[in-house]
Amino acid sequence: MFKHLFLLLLSATLICSCQNKSGRQGDIDFEVPDSVTMAESMMISEEALEEIVQNVSSPIEMAALINELGVPFSTKYLATTDYVDQYNTSFSMAYSLGVFGADLGYLNIYDKSTQIVDYLTAINKLADGIKVGQFFDFNTLKRLATSRDNIDSLMYISVNSFNNMDSYLRENNRGHLSALMIAGTWIEGMYLVTQVAREKVDPTLADRIGEQKVNLNNILLILNNYSNHQQVADLVETLGEIKEVFDQVEITYKMGEPETIEKDGMILIVQNEESIVNITDNQLNDIIAKTEKIRNKLIAI
Amino acid sequence: MKRLVTIFITLLLPIHIFSQFEAEFVDHCATSAGEDATYLKDFQVTLSEATPNQRQPVARFPLVLSKNNIYRFSICTADGSVGKAILQLYDSNKLIFSSYNKDSGEEFNPFNFMCQKTGIYHVFISFNEGKEGQAVGILSYVSK
Repeated sequence: MFKHLFLLLLSATLICSCQNKSGRQGDIDFEVPDSVTMAESMMISEEALEEIVQNVSSPIEMAALINELGVPFSTKYLATTDYVDQYNTSFSMAYSLGVFGADLGYLNIYDKSTQIVDYLTAINKLADGIKVGQFFDFNTLKRLATSRDNIDSLMYISVNSFNNMDSYLRENNRGHLSALMIAGTWIEGMYLVTQVAREKVDPTLADRIGEQKVNLNNILLILNNYSNHQQVADLVETLGEIKEVFDQVEITYKMGEPETIEKDGMILIVQNEESIVNITDNQLNDIIAKTEKIRNKLIAI
Repeated sequence: MKRLVTIFITLLLPIHIFSQFEAEFVDHCATSAGEDATYLKDFQVTLSEATPNQRQPVARFPLVLSKNNIYRFSICTADGSVGKAILQLYDSNKLIFSSYNKDSGEEFNPFNFMCQKTGIYHVFISFNEGKEGQAVGILSYVSK
């Protein structure tokens, strides 16, 4: 009996010590022996890829910006969940998972609990479809969405579920599905902000859209890593249409030193270094039109 | 034999505590950022104590911040940690702000950052004097 207990404890020690959710620690490197073959051929290292994934900004910020501009909530910006059962390839499921994830962020910001449950249900189905449903805490999310007790808990568990699905896919040689999820999230976030910009002329929105040049380049780096999958290669080609326009958008920088002030009893650091987006009306309209076309094509059944 | 089991349990206890904190602890830290703040992402850290002549262990996380947004950075140190967690925000290799002033001993947790330059930043998390500990940093979006 003690032998079994000993083995159990030893296993637990190994499992616990193998867990690593920390950030990057400079001097720790793991080398993969040459004898180990990777199921997915990677153009860039896993570590570099993780860093690029972290460098794609959250669609929640887009939704929050739109909310702050006083734009009323509208379901017309959302992808419908009516046809979720018809997404039956791993490509369409992973991509739509990202799309609905972005829509969930928008619904969370606007506090739309009824619709949130529909999107949670759709996400749960898609996550099960690509065998990552174990990371999506549907019941807790549904409870939080309906009780509206704490939006931060809802946000945290939603974001955490997506991060866990993403990590699991990448760790299990299904990184192309993770890349599709990330692309789906970004394109849907772009669709949301560009649709609003079409109806509301606001320099903040135009700037935010122009800045997406950086995110698009990161997304293309991620997708290119899996371009040996034909559907990913096709998506890269499709996104190339928007990239052509974004390449004409200029981002310049003005130097400055940060100031520290106290506001409402809290330290506020005001950055005086500034990024300036130079985007013309033509470029903006072109991006709006191309985003709409690509987004609608990708979610079409 | 009973003694052996006790020793193993004692050895395992700190590991067990450090590996179980995540969901509840992060959730609690995220919700304590303030009513005007919306959770965006977290940075989970477990660092061991620096050995003599070793540089202070630090975890680094890249993140993208967008112009015209106000972000809140907060840090929570887990129970059982020896050191107190410090969060530092960097733009390239330039320190923008630290949640702890080593010289004065003052703590600024949380702190807000009004971003004027969209780009990649880095959050560094360490424990004072290179002690061991576990912590979570939270990035939130502050409504204007």
